Amino acid sequence: MIPLLVARNTFREATRDRLVAGVVVAGLVLLAATQVVSPLALGEGRRLTVDLGLTGISFLGLLVVLLAGTSLVAKEVERRTIYNLLSRPITRPAYLVGKWAGLSAALWSVAGLLGLALWALVAVGGAAGHAPALLEAVYLAGLELTVVTALAVMFSALSTPVLSALYTLGFYVVGQWSYDLRGLAEKAPDQLRVLLSALANLVPNLPLFNMRTLAAEGLVTTPLHLALATAYALVYVGCVLCLATAAFESRDFK
Amino acid sequence: MFCPGASALRHIGLGRLEGLDVRERMQTSTGAGGERPAAGRPRRGASCPNPSLAVCARGLSKHYIHPWTRRTTRGLEDLSLDVARGEVLGLLGPNGAGKTTTLKILTGLLKATRGRAWLLGEPVEETASRRGLGFLPEQPYFYDYLNGIEYLELVARLSGLQAQVASERAAHWLARVGLGERPRLVLRKYSKGMLQRLGLAAALVHDPDLLILDEPMSGLDPFGRRDVRELIFEQRERGVTVLFSSHILPDVEMLCDRVAILLDGRLTRVATVGELVGDGRQAVEIRCAGGALLEIPQRWAGRVSRVERAGEAVIRIEDESLLQEALAWLVRSGVEVHAVTPQRPTLETLFMAAAEAEAERRTA
Repeated sequence: MIPLLVARNTFREATRDRLVAGVVVAGLVLLAATQVVSPLALGEGRRLTVDLGLTGISFLGLLVVLLAGTSLVAKEVERRTIYNLLSRPITRPAYLVGKWAGLSAALWSVAGLLGLALWALVAVGGAAGHAPALLEAVYLAGLELTVVTALAVMFSALSTPVLSALYTLGFYVVGQWSYDLRGLAEKAPDQLRVLLSALANLVPNLPLFNMRTLAAEGLVTTPLHLALATAYALVYVGCVLCLATAAFESRDFK
Repeated sequence: MFCPGASALRHIGLGRLEGLDVRERMQTSTGAGGERPAAGRPRRGASCPNPSLAVCARGLSKHYIHPWTRRTTRGLEDLSLDVARGEVLGLLGPNGAGKTTTLKILTGLLKATRGRAWLLGEPVEETASRRGLGFLPEQPYFYDYLNGIEYLELVARLSGLQAQVASERAAHWLARVGLGERPRLVLRKYSKGMLQRLGLAAALVHDPDLLILDEPMSGLDPFGRRDVRELIFEQRERGVTVLFSSHILPDVEMLCDRVAILLDGRLTRVATVGELVGDGRQAVEIRCAGGALLEIPQRWAGRVSRVERAGEAVIRIEDESLLQEALAWLVRSGVEVHAVTPQRPTLETLFMAAAEAEAERRTA
């Protein structure tokens, strides 16, 4: 109940922020721009539209996480609005889970809205059958943003907004390369292998959430992939939020 | 389980509750060595020594350690304090004395380095301790994207009220603090005084049993201060316990049953305002006519003085034990006495004296 109340308030905060409105407008402009450049793609216009559209959803979502998510808790501590909440009968874990859930819900809304606009664009171009592929791709992009939001909330609960943004961006970038990191680890000397393997397991396995290439072809992925990605996201988010609450529990608000 | 002995209870202010001599009550907060709680972080689950109290603190200390230099700053040292249910207690002290630190430990925002505290019988580490608590932080900040009604509904729901009740209480309290005319005005457009009123409404919206207010009069104009005073009086009538910190001594004098004085992180005195003001020797002023040419006897030098005020001679006696002797001397001298007025020291004078005494003690 308490996490839901905090989540609702965080969702309201995010959706009333100009940043989210700006991101939606920027996404729509990007989709319109794909129509301008698609005639230059030599018959690959639809693929370009879908690929750029899905990349735009992920990129703009990441922008919201970096600009709003990484200051989600830190800003409350800095502005002392957190006093009004934590002096109520609510636990700190409930507060953090609520913060994560609220921003995640806002990001899902943005991804859903832009995904719908992308489908409309593709449908007008005569490929309404891309809907299942687009739905799956947007779902996975949403999961990816949910995972990155959990990292942002954790860093935000422990550090300043700037450092949180840097840490979150670092995890995102390395996470995008986690497959390559594992490949590199296999070829590396023993000690380095352990280090690289540990790093590859620590950062989120973000390529799991990327099916842009498939969606650009109008192809769907397997139910097993979707199930695995969902389970992985839930477990990763759970672990990150557990770590965040463990550290946040003993924090003083001076 | 920690259970302080009778001397410790007397020492920390329970004397009044148990009908003991008020003079025996706390002079300082330092508990007797054997009755101090063990060092280290507060243990969860330790039961309250006296659950009938609204606030119960035992040996609270807060030390801040600089992460790089490892230098320790003492924010609060061995504070023991009891507040009975229905009592209004004012926490006095200069900036940096530890008032806000104390209130933040009690509300769960800071973790005590040592010692334990309970609110309404529940340990402050547990969320249950905050069920009946209304808290107003110093210079409160709010979510500026919400309006007044939305904010009060949110905090009422977080305090455990159902949606329908929360909406009704939010509307009631917004109107009660004088902000009901524009319930949909977003908080970023509120003035400082309006925010302070909203903070009070937020502290009261769930009908708490205990109010903790950190500088509730801060930044308010005289009308705002009067309204806050009335609200506190009203809550006291309802039987709500109020613990508040303030710099504004006349307000404290007017509102409080008891006053606790904090200096340099230590609780130096807890007493009723009457006790504080009535302590010590009172000065007396005698207004009289025809005393202009009187010579004050040498034996009273430094204890009796004379000034001319509005055409009258005012004989000021610093020690009331000299009053009878001085009056007899004036009558013998043929002076016409108009009035004899005891000069009660103000809380401000006493507070300053306590601060100076503490400074001298530290220097020594």
